[in-house]
Amino acid sequence: MSRLPKLFTGFTHAVAASLVGLMFLTFILQIVIRYSAQLPWLAEMFPFMEPSRYGWTLEFCLFLWVWLVFWGNAFVVRQQDHVTFDILYNSVRPKVRRGFFVIFSLVIAVGLLASLEPTWSKFYVLRLKKTATLSSLFGDWVRMRDVYLVYALFLIVVPLRFAWLAYHAIRYGVDDPTNDAMDSSLK
Amino acid sequence: MTFEFMLCLGTIIVLAGIGAPIAYVILIAALLYLLAAGQGIGIAGKVLMDGLYQSFILLAVPLFIVAANIMNAGTISDRLLSFCVALVGRFRGGLGHVNVVASLIFSGMSGSAVADAAGIGKIIIEMMTKSGQYTRGYAAAITAASATIGPIIPPSIPMVLYALVSNTSIGYLFLGGILPGLFMGAVLMAVNLWMSKRRGFALEEPVPLIELPRRTLNAFPALLMPAILLYGIYGGVTTPTEAAAVAAFYALMLAALFYRALSMKAMYQILVESARSSAAIGLVIGGALILNYIVASENIPSLLAEHLVGLDIDPLMFLLGVNVLLLLLGCILDATTIILVIIPLFIPTCRELGIDMVHFGVVAIVNCMIGLITPPYGILLFVITAVTRIPLSEIIREVWPFLGVLVLALLCMVLWPGLVLALPRLFGYAG
Amino acid sequence: DDNNVTLRMSTPASETDQRSVSLAEVFAPAVAEFATYEPHYNASLIAQGSELESIASGDLEMSITSAQELAQFFPEFSIFATGYVHQDAAHQVAVFNDALMDGFKAKAEAELDVKLLSVMYLGRRHVNLRQTKDELTVTNPADLAGVNLRMPGTDAWQFLGKALGANPTPMSFTEVYTALQTGSVDGQDNPLPTVVDAKFYEVTKQIALTSHLVDLNYIAMSKSTWDGLTGEQQATLQSAADAAAESGRVAQLEKEANLVSFLKEQGLSVYEPDLAAFREHVQAQYVGTEFAASWPAGVLDKINALGN
Ligand code: NA
Ligand code: NA
Repeated sequence: MSRLPKLFTGFTHAVAASLVGLMFLTFILQIVIRYSAQLPWLAEMFPFMEPSRYGWTLEFCLFLWVWLVFWGNAFVVRQQDHVTFDILYNSVRPKVRRGFFVIFSLVIAVGLLASLEPTWSKFYVLRLKKTATLSSLFGDWVRMRDVYLVYALFLIVVPLRFAWLAYHAIRYGVDDPTNDAMDSSLK
Repeated sequence: MTFEFMLCLGTIIVLAGIGAPIAYVILIAALLYLLAAGQGIGIAGKVLMDGLYQSFILLAVPLFIVAANIMNAGTISDRLLSFCVALVGRFRGGLGHVNVVASLIFSGMSGSAVADAAGIGKIIIEMMTKSGQYTRGYAAAITAASATIGPIIPPSIPMVLYALVSNTSIGYLFLGGILPGLFMGAVLMAVNLWMSKRRGFALEEPVPLIELPRRTLNAFPALLMPAILLYGIYGGVTTPTEAAAVAAFYALMLAALFYRALSMKAMYQILVESARSSAAIGLVIGGALILNYIVASENIPSLLAEHLVGLDIDPLMFLLGVNVLLLLLGCILDATTIILVIIPLFIPTCRELGIDMVHFGVVAIVNCMIGLITPPYGILLFVITAVTRIPLSEIIREVWPFLGVLVLALLCMVLWPGLVLALPRLFGYAG
Repeated sequence: DDNNVTLRMSTPASETDQRSVSLAEVFAPAVAEFATYEPHYNASLIAQGSELESIASGDLEMSITSAQELAQFFPEFSIFATGYVHQDAAHQVAVFNDALMDGFKAKAEAELDVKLLSVMYLGRRHVNLRQTKDELTVTNPADLAGVNLRMPGTDAWQFLGKALGANPTPMSFTEVYTALQTGSVDGQDNPLPTVVDAKFYEVTKQIALTSHLVDLNYIAMSKSTWDGLTGEQQATLQSAADAAAESGRVAQLEKEANLVSFLKEQGLSVYEPDLAAFREHVQAQYVGTEFAASWPAGVLDKINALGN
């Protein structure tokens, strides 16, 4: 890989890893705060442990979760990570398989891209809607549309990826599923 | 059934059939449905985002995945495996039994079968395949089958949902799930024993009993994990969802400080890997949310309800009919939708026919959980595929015997209400 | 016929909930001549909390919404979600029909295309705890110090929990039963009918009748759909909504009155704390907050003047 794509991949992966790591830490924080609330002297001694400062933890985890799902699918999830019914796909001749791959990749690319504008206009009203608790974390500017922004990003990146995969398949064919690295996680 | 609904189902069958990722298939089919029905196609994304942004209990999924990945990288799974092999490796189907028993123990941990399968499921599948005795499809299939027990044994989110729509006591429902849950565990172990004999899964070299204390000591901190989690939940420190974070935290402490088997770089890889699996699962769950919207939008529930008004049939026939219908619906709908949207339709008729509501609830929930592993659309199968990358076709091929005995177990629960009601009655249930 | 409109209604409430029942049994038949009422319960069509924007974008015609949800769009609605502002069910109706509501209603119509038809009574919210009365008797706000009280996960709710003197903790509703059973929270706050419907009485020991919030919902409808009706149809629909709200209110009040004895039979202590102390403490907490800053000048006084 040349340097720029490598840097980009490194960055997108680091973001995804941070989302998971933050979610983990936020949950731990939530438990610690709830448990420490039973000892009121703690909050008196350390004002930052005042439980009412942490009303945002639950919604923040949900925020991390949706960003994880769509950022992850845009940049981190590989083709072989997806759940597929592969019975027919694996049993046909390579040429037919390539045809299948190109067809569904293009259908997905066109479909998702076509839904970008209508989806964004459904999100339009959310520019008015405050989040339930995230203002106390991010500041008063944050609105639900900012939270949902990642889905629009997903609708742009994923079609580009599928279009690229379709081009690649037309040009070079598709992998033989019998010798792919399906069990890379079962090392 | 409308034209656009047929179009939607047809698109799913064709696109999924030629090997497209299932989550994207559903999304595309939903867009076509909305277009044909004259609704805005932007709704699909809105429904997906709204649903995921509400899925509190699913937050356990990424956390359990982190926990499982830490346990694998931090040699915790290896130590557990070597302990289990020493303990049960000499018996036929030993690790398969361990799998079922682990599900029974951990079933108390989360309210959700999906979280259970993503969590211990991943760990134990790796243990079973590493041991070399079992095919990976078999390991995945028994894991999926035993994860269905999770929400039958309390605590259980599906039972809370059922109680809300049926006005039944959650306490008695929880009690009612215990015997059926154990019974399901027993039939799965029976199948595992039978299959292991029939297929001649190799036995492990018996580990001398004198080895056992050392291996126990070696695995002891890891064996403490269930105890800590169960104390966390029943001692009131954490909610079942938060327990997932505790599991990850404990595994991290063990791996980093106690076993000293985890570098910063490895930890980073674990986070990336967890992000990858969680994102793939999240998108599949999002697909289920969109299908739910389409079914609601078709107003299928109220069409069904019209046929149920004034139904006059034998209660047992009614129960059997409902169960067949739920099993079929389980092939396309997810459990939450069935519990919240379909089951309420049967409740008035149940009351009229004098069917006990706790009995009906437990039976219906067992049914919904079986639906999670019925091909072609079984969320548990998808989740396990996403976490382990074992091809769906291999899991589906191996899941049939387990599915079969679970359906038989369900039939027993329908025919003998005592199986469900004995414990609640012991604690004062008047039904 | 061609003039028939479909009113899709989505709510997180169940089919047997009082709100659902009164709309299905009173509202639906009254508008049947020109409108087909199509209810979707348990948030099966639209996710909980997303109904308003679905109406705004034309994907839904009706919902049962709350002041808290409206406050996410228009902060001034938080006044109706503030402790000890509404005094009882009749006061809610008087406030809703008063001219002071006009600005609120107009804003929802202009910016969200949401018409607020009528106000529904949900009940008085009380503090419901795991502890027995012997272990913890709640007389004034200081007695709730250190008590982990589950409140819905929005800033406004969390603030109210803190104003009551407790440690508010957010948690999804479906986890509350188990959390009360195991003690990961000490209590929750809801009207008595919810305590019974969600079976919280199985896992709690006492209810302090704090009445800290007289909770309400609004029957909300798409303004565009409303504008598409004839004047006569509008009048019929309006009175149908009012009649449904009234029938629900009567039923809910009766249910609340009967539930005290039911809960006592279940072994719970049900008693009234020093309400004056709670009211004074809670109202003092709101002074100078960003919530209070969002309320239009003079509205609080007008609301108080409509009460006793
Ligand atoms: Na469980
Ligand atoms: Na299924």
